[in-house]
Amino acid sequence: MPYYDEIELGDEIGPVEKVATDEEVANFCDVWGAPKPNRFTDPDVAAKAGMPGTIVPGIMTMAMMAQLLTDWGGPGSIKDLDLVFRQPVPHNRPLTLAATITDLREEDGENLVECDILMTGTEGERYVGGKAIVVVAGR
Amino acid sequence: MAMELEYDRSLYGIEHVAGPFEITDEIIDRANSSTGETGPAFISDAGAKEAGYRGRIAPPTLCCILVRQVSLPDVKVKFGRTQMHAGQRVEPKAPVYAGDRLTASSHLKDVYAKTGRSGTMVFVVWETTFTNQDGQVVAEVQESFAKRE
Repeated sequence: MPYYDEIELGDEIGPVEKVATDEEVANFCDVWGAPKPNRFTDPDVAAKAGMPGTIVPGIMTMAMMAQLLTDWGGPGSIKDLDLVFRQPVPHNRPLTLAATITDLREEDGENLVECDILMTGTEGERYVGGKAIVVVAGR
Repeated sequence: MAMELEYDRSLYGIEHVAGPFEITDEIIDRANSSTGETGPAFISDAGAKEAGYRGRIAPPTLCCILVRQVSLPDVKVKFGRTQMHAGQRVEPKAPVYAGDRLTASSHLKDVYAKTGRSGTMVFVVWETTFTNQDGQVVAEVQESFAKRE
């Protein structure tokens, strides 16, 4: 995990490539108790909603984004994660997750790292985007 | 010009309480396996203790999953046909430990219209506070749903 004084504006967290498989999405929907059938696991429901195929739930993409940050800053490092689900995210396709550091400040005794965070597709799709504040340790 | 929105304004100020949600090892395991989570503090007591916690903790977005189990009333927005989950925000306030029992309290935060390139959308925002068995707030979650013409 990085120390606060090692981090600079413009530094990147990631990129990390991930795929949300059919099985993982089905498993995630079970944890959440998603009503069935739904657009996440049923191709017909997805088609009726105008989607090209089953999609990854927004909350699951959020969990993946959170993972990018906790892998970098530690398990309890997220102070704020604020995401916009811009486009439907497909199953079984490579997804690239990355964050860029936009601000560093000390506030109430905490070292805060603010970043823009983005999940993109192989054709430049901007699936999920937003902002995060991560707390990191000083020396 | 601001659009005059028609919806159930009487919902403001009402708290919708749900729970308790038992944070079992099984729930954490299943959430972890569906996202490939391998962070040691989320996997075992030993990993969590190494990171300075008293025991295994849940990943920071577990409350974002639980929030979908809170039954919320229809805001009755007279606009649009299709609704989608437009965004979500989580502010973790304290660790959620395996074995915790959480309560959720949700209220309507805002309803507003926004016009962009793809037309007008109406956003409905709910805010939920999760509290543990000791009365400590562990997370604030905001969810926004968009209705499109």
